[in-house]
Amino acid sequence: MGRSLAFLIPFVSLIAGAVSGGQAAETVWSGLVIAENVAQPQAVPPELTRIEGSLKKFFGYNQFQVIGQSQKALKTGQEDWLATSKFFGLHVDAQGESKAGYVLNLKLYKEKELLLETDAKLSKRSPLVIKGPQVGSGQLLLVLVIQ
Amino acid sequence: MKTFEENWTAWLDGQLSGRDLSEFEASLLDKAAAEAEKANARKLGALLKSELGAPALTNEEFFSHQLRERIMRESSGPSVEREAKASTWWTIPRLLWTGTASLAVFLIFTVFVIRDKNPAEESQYLTQILNARVDPVVSPNATVSMFEAKQDRVTVLWTEGLQSLPADYAAK
Repeated sequence: MGRSLAFLIPFVSLIAGAVSGGQAAETVWSGLVIAENVAQPQAVPPELTRIEGSLKKFFGYNQFQVIGQSQKALKTGQEDWLATSKFFGLHVDAQGESKAGYVLNLKLYKEKELLLETDAKLSKRSPLVIKGPQVGSGQLLLVLVIQ
Repeated sequence: MKTFEENWTAWLDGQLSGRDLSEFEASLLDKAAAEAEKANARKLGALLKSELGAPALTNEEFFSHQLRERIMRESSGPSVEREAKASTWWTIPRLLWTGTASLAVFLIFTVFVIRDKNPAEESQYLTQILNARVDPVVSPNATVSMFEAKQDRVTVLWTEGLQSLPADYAAK
């Protein structure tokens, strides 16, 4: 009896975990970030903490400020949304979900002008960073993270 | 030279003949009494034969087999018994071969599974850029490239030559 329970409990937990894992909606954080080098850098926004090291290493800036962002909970994997700042807009169009993540079409607009378009398969474990245009002394970065 | 008793027994059994028979009968003092005794002995013999016949075994082969087995066991001692018990199909060389073969099969399957699984895991692990386009009118000299930082699992789409913008565009 005890042995059967010992086997049954983890088995049921695994199944429950798998079922709940399959049903959970995932949230995609999309951000427009200005990276700059300043004398007194502000703290990195919490959404970027995880990739702070890589951002500093690749782009060589010490401050990362979010100028526009959006959080979208994906249920069908077919949603679309917009993250905007005063002059920039990042349109994200989800085109399906796979086991690995979501297929996204991304368009960066400067006001109404399309600057950049890309298709990406966004992994649930792997953030995407896009280097945008130079803005003043800094750099516009587009960041997408599945939370 | 046979004794009288030997000759007497042989005479009772009817095994004397010829000269031996005539000499023995001539040596008898009272031949009539001897003949009567002989007749009685034959009657007794016939009675014993009919009443005390050996019981017939219904399965003689089985009993003799059992008997032989028991004699062999008792005569050969405990070491042979142990050997008899230990003599199974799983001998040491066979165990070794079976173990080696199992290990080989396991390794082959492991290699195949890992080979098949790795590409899928890699694609799940990192974000992939499928394609990227820059407006050639706005930024004619722009180029795009991509790389992955496996340390933080970050995928970077790197653009060069995009039109630079004034600092005002950094406004929220």
